[in-house]
Amino acid sequence: MKPAPSAMIELCGVTKRFGDFTAVDDVSLTVRAGEFITLLGPSGCGKTTLLRLLAGFEAPDAGSILLDGSDVTSLPPYHRSVNQVFQSYALFPHLTVRDNVGFGLRMQRVPPAEAAGRIRDALDLVSLGEVADRHPHQLSGGQRQRVALARAIICRPKVLLLDEPLSALDAKLRHTMQLELKRLQRRLGITFVFVTHDQGEALTMSDRIAVINRGRIEQLGGAAEIYHRPRSPFAADFIGQANLLSVTVTGRNGLTARVRVASGLELTISALELPPAAVKALISIRPEKIHISRQRPEAENVFEVRIEEEIFQGATDQLLLATEHGTRFHALVANESAISEAFHEGDQVYCGLHFDDLVVVQTE
Amino acid sequence: MKLPISSLLALSVLLAPSALTAAGVVNLFGWSEYVPQAVLDGFTAETGIKVNFETFASNEELLSKLVAGGGAYDLVQPSDYAAEVMIRRQMLAPLDPAKLPNLKNIDPALMRLPHDPAGAYTVPYMTGTVGIVVNTGKVHEPIRGYRDIFQPKFQNRLVVLNDSRELVTWALYAQGLAANDVTPANLAKVRPLLAEWVKLVKVFDSDSPKTALLNGDVDIGVVWSGEAAILWTQDRKFQYVLPAEGAHQFVDVLAIPAKAKNRDEAHAFINYILRPEVSRLISAAFPYTNPNLAARKLLTPEELANPASYPKGGRLETFRDIGKTATVIDKLVTDLKSAL
Amino acid sequence: MSADASAAVPSGPDRRPPGWRAWALLAPMVLWLLLFVVVPAAILFVYSFCERDEVGGVIFTFTWENYQRVLDPVYLRIFLRSIGYAGLTTLLCVVLGYPVAYYIARAGEQRRNQLLLLVMVPFWTSFLIRTYAWITILKQEGLLNGLLQSLHLTVTPLSLLYTPTAVVIGLVYAYLPFMILPIYGSAEKLDHALVEAAYDLGAGPLRAFSSVIIPLTMPGIAAGTLLVFVPAIGMFAITDLMGGAKVPMIGNVIQNQFMQARDWPFGAALGVVFMLMFALTYVLLQRRGARLAA
Repeated sequence: MKPAPSAMIELCGVTKRFGDFTAVDDVSLTVRAGEFITLLGPSGCGKTTLLRLLAGFEAPDAGSILLDGSDVTSLPPYHRSVNQVFQSYALFPHLTVRDNVGFGLRMQRVPPAEAAGRIRDALDLVSLGEVADRHPHQLSGGQRQRVALARAIICRPKVLLLDEPLSALDAKLRHTMQLELKRLQRRLGITFVFVTHDQGEALTMSDRIAVINRGRIEQLGGAAEIYHRPRSPFAADFIGQANLLSVTVTGRNGLTARVRVASGLELTISALELPPAAVKALISIRPEKIHISRQRPEAENVFEVRIEEEIFQGATDQLLLATEHGTRFHALVANESAISEAFHEGDQVYCGLHFDDLVVVQTE
Repeated sequence: MKLPISSLLALSVLLAPSALTAAGVVNLFGWSEYVPQAVLDGFTAETGIKVNFETFASNEELLSKLVAGGGAYDLVQPSDYAAEVMIRRQMLAPLDPAKLPNLKNIDPALMRLPHDPAGAYTVPYMTGTVGIVVNTGKVHEPIRGYRDIFQPKFQNRLVVLNDSRELVTWALYAQGLAANDVTPANLAKVRPLLAEWVKLVKVFDSDSPKTALLNGDVDIGVVWSGEAAILWTQDRKFQYVLPAEGAHQFVDVLAIPAKAKNRDEAHAFINYILRPEVSRLISAAFPYTNPNLAARKLLTPEELANPASYPKGGRLETFRDIGKTATVIDKLVTDLKSAL
Repeated sequence: MSADASAAVPSGPDRRPPGWRAWALLAPMVLWLLLFVVVPAAILFVYSFCERDEVGGVIFTFTWENYQRVLDPVYLRIFLRSIGYAGLTTLLCVVLGYPVAYYIARAGEQRRNQLLLLVMVPFWTSFLIRTYAWITILKQEGLLNGLLQSLHLTVTPLSLLYTPTAVVIGLVYAYLPFMILPIYGSAEKLDHALVEAAYDLGAGPLRAFSSVIIPLTMPGIAAGTLLVFVPAIGMFAITDLMGGAKVPMIGNVIQNQFMQARDWPFGAALGVVFMLMFALTYVLLQRRGARLAA
């Protein structure tokens, strides 16, 4: 008996080129069994190509792909225990919901009696037992999405690939489906590889997120880690909002360091992620980490700012702040009550920043 | 007797030319590939009369068009049996011999044939026969008549006209009957013979039977004499034989429809055609048998020696109109062919 | 084509009755159909109940005789044979045309247009000339026999022309583009993600083809079948020129009625039966298409 491999998917130095364009550039990635991993990036970053390489629709120009310990690099899609939920769902228009869902079983020549039971179970799992005899064009967008899901999981694949499966749904339905997908993944224990350009979706669902830019993985980590400790200006900017500041290191004091923004504003940051030789750095500040108050707050960095602009956003207010040096920040403040401490354009207020919230994303 | 494929355009009934009654015009409806352009040009150059020339590809097309009342023609060019129908239906105007002094050039034997016993309505244009052409390079047995060629040893080496009445006529001759003895009893009598013959044929083609012979796909044909004459001029190995049992002779004539408006011009055209030197041009282009004895004197010895154009002897008969029996013949031949 | 039509029936506010402007736009088309389809068909229908007179004219009367003659075994056998030849032609056109159409549909845009042009190039020359070209190729002393003999593959020339094989070659050649173009139209619309989905679910190339690609391009196959099968039944020029007019097809029989036999009423009756067969084929295909689309 061979020991259970810890890795379900192993990509080693995978490269894929289309003519002069390198879609996937020397990517190595290990995905654990039962993990929900999201490939996050803007359109054209290579995340879909990576997914197609996993599915077997494309063959890599270099590198290898291991699935559950065996090399599938040159295996055609129909011989891989991998199924996919397509962005357009790709439901067969000439087949009923039942036959769509049962397609994979038919291809595997599962006996009809057994297949019927499994189809029923799969449809129940996505609450579609009622529409089994309809054709795809008679279904709503959400229903089609569930059919695509049921069709993809019925063969009990080792890995389920999801290519922006929620992008065609409206915001509310999308949110419901995000939670449902996550629940389903936990229940089935299948490894999910989810492709999206929606960072909110990625943060909500994933165990780990791979931030992809220009064919490379920029950062790989848990949702909280990616959010709070982005490792690159791209990761900081693409996930959530970020104030990016170019600074010069002016001094070090044990665990902290002093830096100066070009405009003259001086700040204290954590020195942990600042290499000893670094002279210049790029730091990221999340807008919600900026504390605004009329009284002087307790924090490592406190300075006065003027509110240049205020945009009401429902749960939060977005403020554009300017220091006396002319450095500008975006800040988010919670709208706790309709009458409490409201900020207005032109107000002169205090701004407090904890040194932990100033994240170094790049150094020179 | 050419290209029935294009002639299905029966719609052309609707598209007949507008009647030009102005002097100096003659509207001619003739066979395609039968009247040389030089003759038409020569006539216009000499008389100033313009010729509007329209063509048909079969007697049936001509009859259909005229029976349906279409076309304002001054001159038509039917074959004997079609002319017979038209005379019987009073669709032709009597000719005025005074306007046709050149009529004297025509072989008297070809005047007053059964289709126009009085010779009052038609003038022979060209005549010909249906006979056997043999590629003597491949066939060395003596060939004298139908019974010599419809033999198992010549299976798939024969091309014959794709014409039900011709086929039936040959079988009637082979049984010792005459071409116009087309009765149900006689048809029943020739049926077994025809059934055997049809199996031996490789190609049925009325449009250009010479093609299969020239291409080497067959060695023997029963074809129009004009086709055989062209084969002979290309290669002397193609010898023409008038079947001993009897042969169909056709006479294509010129006639003036009863409704014609430009009769003087039509007469002038006929008289022009009857001139020896004009008729001679037609023979050069289409080597059928020229009925114009004066014109024959102008032919080269080689043209006169062409056995297909001027066959020796033989028992010749023209077709008479057979009315509804045509459909019986058609069904008979269709039946025999589809049994193949 | 039938499947698409039934699936795309608009509902709701789009289904207003057309106004006078729409009728004005349609008028030339309606007139054309009336003059060249409805009126000739009506004439044919009326003639089919008439009688032939002595010289081949039409006597206006009412008789079922022509239809009784259509049912004569002689003509029924020919009808069946014509259907057989047309069916074989259609089958060969599908088998030969499908890969071509599919390949063109999947090719890049520029290449696709070049290939489509190649499919249509034969139409620039007259049909008869193209048929004579085949005669030149297939005849006893023709190009094909010359090639075979110079390659020492055969000693004596093969009899190719004036055989049933030659007729089928001619028919397939003449109608192949009419099969390729509609299948191309269907295949081009086929979402490639569906093929990938089939692969993804474990279907190898063959099973993806039979269970996804074929059903989804069925409207194109049906349209192509209609465009090939029906005219192939009635074709007479090819059977004359390449088959040596030996074995009559229903087209030859009809042609004979209007020519040699001068029996227009019987020809008209054959034509009417032929039209009914066309309508029947169409309805059957449409039903099938509608069922697939439902």
